[in-house]
Amino acid sequence: MTQTKIDGRAKTREIKRKANLNLLERLYLPEIFKGLSITFRQIFKPKFTFEYPDVKWQPPASFRGRPVLVVDDETGVERCVACGLCARVCPALAIEVVADETELDKERYPKKFEINMLRCIYCGLCEEVCPEEAIVMSKEYELVFTSREEAIFGKDKLLTPASKLKDRLEFLRKMR
Amino acid sequence: MESILIAILKAIIFILLFLTFSAVLTYVERRISAFIQDRLGPNRVGPFGLFQPIADVVKIIFKEEIIPANADRTLHTLAPIISLFVAYSVFAVLPIGEKLVIDGKEIKLVLADVNVGFLYILALSSLGVYGVTLSGWSSNNKYSLLGALRASAQMISYELSLGLSLVGVVLVSGSIQIDEIIRSQANVWNIFYQPVGFIIFLVSVFAETNRLPFDLPEAEPELVAGYHTEYSGMKFGAFYLAEYTNIITASLLVTAFFLGGWYFPFVDIYSGLNPNLSAILQVIVFFGKASLIIFLFMLVRWTLPRFRYDQLMRLGWQVLLPLALLNVLVTGLVKILL
Amino acid sequence: MAKITIDGKTVEVKDGLTILQAAQEIGIDIPHFCYHPALSIAGNCRMCLVEVEKMPKLAIACATRVIDGMVVYTQSEKVKKARQAVLEFILINHPLDCPICDEAGECKLQNYTYIYGPGHSRFEEEKAHKPKRVPLGPNIVLDVERCIMCSRCVRFFDEIVKDPQLTFTQRGDRVVLTTFPGKRVDNPYSMNIIDICPVGALTSKDFRFKERTWNMTAVESVCPGCARGCNVYLWVRNNQILRITPRVNLEVNRYWMCDYGRFTYKPVNSDDRIKNPMIKVNGELVETDWEIAVETAASILKSVKPDEVAVLGSAYATNEDNYLLQKFAKSVLKTKYVDFLRHVKDGDEDNFLIRADKTPNSYGAYLVGVRSNNGFGFNEIVEGLRTKKFKVVYVMDDDIVLNDEIYSLLDEVKVIVHATNKNKTVEKADVVFASASFAEKEGTFTNFEGRVQKINIAVLPKDYEPWMLYKPRKFGEVKPNTGEINKANLALSRLFKFGTQFDRWASGERRNVKPSWWVIMQVANKLGAKFTYASSSDVFKEISETIREFKGLSYDLIGDEGAMINKN
Repeated sequence: MTQTKIDGRAKTREIKRKANLNLLERLYLPEIFKGLSITFRQIFKPKFTFEYPDVKWQPPASFRGRPVLVVDDETGVERCVACGLCARVCPALAIEVVADETELDKERYPKKFEINMLRCIYCGLCEEVCPEEAIVMSKEYELVFTSREEAIFGKDKLLTPASKLKDRLEFLRKMR
Repeated sequence: MESILIAILKAIIFILLFLTFSAVLTYVERRISAFIQDRLGPNRVGPFGLFQPIADVVKIIFKEEIIPANADRTLHTLAPIISLFVAYSVFAVLPIGEKLVIDGKEIKLVLADVNVGFLYILALSSLGVYGVTLSGWSSNNKYSLLGALRASAQMISYELSLGLSLVGVVLVSGSIQIDEIIRSQANVWNIFYQPVGFIIFLVSVFAETNRLPFDLPEAEPELVAGYHTEYSGMKFGAFYLAEYTNIITASLLVTAFFLGGWYFPFVDIYSGLNPNLSAILQVIVFFGKASLIIFLFMLVRWTLPRFRYDQLMRLGWQVLLPLALLNVLVTGLVKILL
Repeated sequence: MAKITIDGKTVEVKDGLTILQAAQEIGIDIPHFCYHPALSIAGNCRMCLVEVEKMPKLAIACATRVIDGMVVYTQSEKVKKARQAVLEFILINHPLDCPICDEAGECKLQNYTYIYGPGHSRFEEEKAHKPKRVPLGPNIVLDVERCIMCSRCVRFFDEIVKDPQLTFTQRGDRVVLTTFPGKRVDNPYSMNIIDICPVGALTSKDFRFKERTWNMTAVESVCPGCARGCNVYLWVRNNQILRITPRVNLEVNRYWMCDYGRFTYKPVNSDDRIKNPMIKVNGELVETDWEIAVETAASILKSVKPDEVAVLGSAYATNEDNYLLQKFAKSVLKTKYVDFLRHVKDGDEDNFLIRADKTPNSYGAYLVGVRSNNGFGFNEIVEGLRTKKFKVVYVMDDDIVLNDEIYSLLDEVKVIVHATNKNKTVEKADVVFASASFAEKEGTFTNFEGRVQKINIAVLPKDYEPWMLYKPRKFGEVKPNTGEINKANLALSRLFKFGTQFDRWASGERRNVKPSWWVIMQVANKLGAKFTYASSSDVFKEISETIREFKGLSYDLIGDEGAMINKN
């Protein structure tokens, strides 16, 4: 008899030691048959396999796929003001932002915005820190590249219209 | 002349039969393993993935072969050949049915009808350890060597109980010729006379074939892949094939020694039948029973965890060996008294 | 002397100090916006309120002088509440757009709000709207919305440069910082107001939105713009200098530097840099490696007799470079013709910082021995070129083509030149050594007063790795009496520390350049000398042993602040 604390509640759990096994259990064979029957029954249980390239998993809104830049539906330009907070918070140093001045109201915009997908760890801190809701985690999880250079995603690959990211943006607002 | 031709023909058919059977077995094992784990398994090559073994064979043949720089090249090449050779030699004395009659000629459904088949099998299966040991030694890799050492120790330990458990069968059947042993079970199977012997034999066979829960020689978490760590391409394929052939042979042996061989349970379906038809039925029944044992192999694989080395040794020497000796003693006493 | 107690610490300070200054002396930082040690006291920001015993209300620490027996509390509940109130007031009309603002990271308002602020706003109305992006002059852009009316910039022009250019108009929340009608902010020291501005109201046109402060590495150096030798920080990212800001040195430049000095980084980043050593092949300069360039130079010098070669040092080069050059000229080449060019712009001088001598090290070059004794100077060298006396001219880090005549005279001789950027002398050269600029080498400059100051490597040349040069600095160190948060706290940027060769932001251009003393050593050793200096500090050690004025000096002694030479 041992006392184990789980979730702050004291639970008494009986741990079977060799000493308190009964004869049938010590014979070992009946227990093996018990185990075999469990394994056997498992064969007929429903399967959970997605036949991947044919059937694709649709992630929920809470899923953190590759980070993308939101293009505002109204203005048609990216929301990003190149403040560099995402680059600062990124624990893997995956993000590089080079800012420049723009005539728009927001004054600064990212002249260059690159995410090194080899460095990215999909932690979502960039999304969390962004003051403009400009970088969000998309649902995209299929990433293939054949060279280091290809793995660096520039603005051309990152810009995504807000209408395509509705789920995530709503989720973020709900969680705020 | 003619008999030699028939022998060669028989040998080719036997080898093809076993090759096909082990190929199918790889597929079946993967599918069943998958089902047990709530997965689907290989299902993309051909209908239900049935052509997967063909794809596997093609792949393994064309795979690059790598021999480690400091390996003993001769032994490294020899080891898988020994393994495969031993695996295929064992079933030479295994009868899979009684006889075919073609043009009035009797053709026995066994490659070599020797009267010491029982001893031959025991002798040859001990040779299998050479393949494993040599592969581990020649790879010049510590994991391979450890795997090989374990394999040797394990095989030698369980060989004893394996042999002793069969002594009971021999006592009951009164013969060491395998087809005679099978025929003696026409009415009552040996498993009912020798339940303890059956269990000891089954456990020993698991150990001899290096299957879970006794797969210490290739224990992945500790030894990468054990004795065949340094093997690739067709040489690895040879080990793989040997392993599956051993499983088939072992299942057939269990069936032959304890489960009545080709006899259908409780009813005699062969009397009065055309001998050819009955021979085919016998083969089907024999392999059918063996398949169930193979299925048991798979179930056990996904049910029981691997033994620790000391547990393995204790089970072999302190439990199975005394039990087997006791079994022989009791069987002998009963035989004398009755 | 007055004995006062601040937060339980009793200290004796000079009469006439303010509470704020006294607190700084014992290492207590009282938050403030409008107070600046170099400017008059305005007392308008109210951020420095402290509680003084026996005073009915809170007092501003910047304007309250210490009295013997005074007891001050800077962390009491009352003070904390007052600070929160002041910050809340300031933030009512201050836009909360730190992500856009360039000052973020070195902003007093941002820091103080983070440390002392209320943490939330009760202001729900529309903030006041004022002109944004106002070009104040050639170098400065003003955002009036961000201005907190501390008047530091106004006082700077009134008091430091005595050229009033800015003022406030209107009152209350409509107050606007503006120039006098029809005027521009074009004072040669105008960009100092960007540094002293506690918020992001005044920004540099040149640096605006270029980079966040925390992404840059700040390296202590000395401005090469004139003989003053203002202490500066070079702000580097991806091996490029992005801006230069003054470094406090009360002996030299105090808190300031001129606008001209802030742009001395441009030639370092410029496209006309010489990135590899070059030699002339069939009349064309082609890039080569150091081995071949040194070999070529040595073979040219081997064939000449003493006094057939003229050697020119440089007031742009360090003491170390010049010292080794004159040693090489006198002991290896054995020529008497050693001199350097002076670049004096008469009249372009004031009594604040800017000097007429536009080179950082003319005094140093002179002291270490690059000088013409008995008529073997630059004029005689030009004369010698006319009479075809010379076969080789050896020029270090300077452009000697002052006029067309010299340009054509150089055709007659072989020219070996060290150069950072392409110039007229380089066009005529037979061997060009790619020389490290002031930002790419270690060494010392001697300013016109005789203060020896150290420059450090900020831009990495090829073959250098970051870890060879930088030591991470302590965070949070505040220099006493400056009142400014030390910007070098962010000295080594994270990007710099963790960048790899595969990161685009860490693979900036590395030029194959070498400091001149190293090149001279290679050439001299090819000609039979035995120079064995491992670093510029080895050269400086020899200078301190052989040159009277430098006796007793060392890199350690010079430190960040510099050290005076022995004048007697």
